[in-house]
Amino acid sequence: MASVSNVTARIVEEAAKCGVKLVASLPDTWISELIEAFDKDRRFTHVPVNREESAIGLCSGAFFSGTGALALMGASGFMTCVYALTKINYTYQIPLLLLVTLRGGLGDRAKYHVSNGLYLKPLMDSISMPCTIVDSPEKVSVISTAYAHSRVISRPVVVGFTRGVLRGEQ
Amino acid sequence: MKLRECFEYIAGRWKSELVILSAGNCSEMWWEVTRDSERAFYLEASMSLASMFGAGIALGVPPTPVWVFSGDGAFCMNPGMLMVERQMNLPNLKHFLVSNRCYGSTYEARLPNASANDYASMARAMGIERVYRIDSLDALQRDFASAVAQPGHVFTVLEVEPVGKKLEEPPMDGPEMKYRFGRYIERMTGVRIFDGSLF
Repeated sequence: MASVSNVTARIVEEAAKCGVKLVASLPDTWISELIEAFDKDRRFTHVPVNREESAIGLCSGAFFSGTGALALMGASGFMTCVYALTKINYTYQIPLLLLVTLRGGLGDRAKYHVSNGLYLKPLMDSISMPCTIVDSPEKVSVISTAYAHSRVISRPVVVGFTRGVLRGEQ
Repeated sequence: MKLRECFEYIAGRWKSELVILSAGNCSEMWWEVTRDSERAFYLEASMSLASMFGAGIALGVPPTPVWVFSGDGAFCMNPGMLMVERQMNLPNLKHFLVSNRCYGSTYEARLPNASANDYASMARAMGIERVYRIDSLDALQRDFASAVAQPGHVFTVLEVEPVGKKLEEPPMDGPEMKYRFGRYIERMTGVRIFDGSLF
């Protein structure tokens, strides 16, 4: 089992490897260490935003300055972004990498995330949002693949992280 | 101040700046006045994110000024954008709030709390230092240069009258706008946007 700090470091390195320079985030308890790591790493400009839709707008604009970007958020935040994603990224065909927590899944003890467990994946399916799951530390390298795939298809791609990976639990 | 006169004045001073326009009257009037389809991005498909979109561009091309025009209908959906703008404090980002006190493109439907909203004070309360409120063409002629010429993030409220009619939407579809605007930025700044290295 990999520790939280080890997984955090892997994610940060993978983001740097695929050319991400801008990270826009809103917190979720599962990614608090990850957000801090991006914030401290001088290879990135980390922008804490006021709401998740602002991250979509910011990262989508960054595309037009040739700046690699990713939006980092919890599942609940992603659920609020359907309008921004479908209107900006789908209409104008702007690629975007999203790292999202898979709240409400197996092992999540927070009752207030039950709805995310029930509806997050069906919601992504309903808008044809490609999503790949990272459920072991060895799969973190899929971030680079997802980033490249987003640019190939000119649409957003989600990488979803399980609690086990982000909290160092299996 | 009439929106058309306001935009005609600003467009007449438009040089190398990239322009982002929020949905509705902002996009439609800028299109009517300029007919530009390269230097301007008409973010017609989304409300409330024009300044974030502009900030993402401004961050990556710091020598290039970015003018963002948001409607106050869009602004009311996401006033917290000012917190992010203040935090980023991008010297090349100039945000104009086009305040007509209504939802201009939807038959001028009522905006909540329209008459009392003080957008300039909201910006100051969030720590933005350079804030202008312009409510006449004379004031625009007097203050425009100082609002945009000096480096530094600026938030300018343009108080305008409702247009009173439906305007023509910019006729480009999404991908066309993406490529026209992106290719222009590539030519003018040298940044690579449509990266062939993945293939």
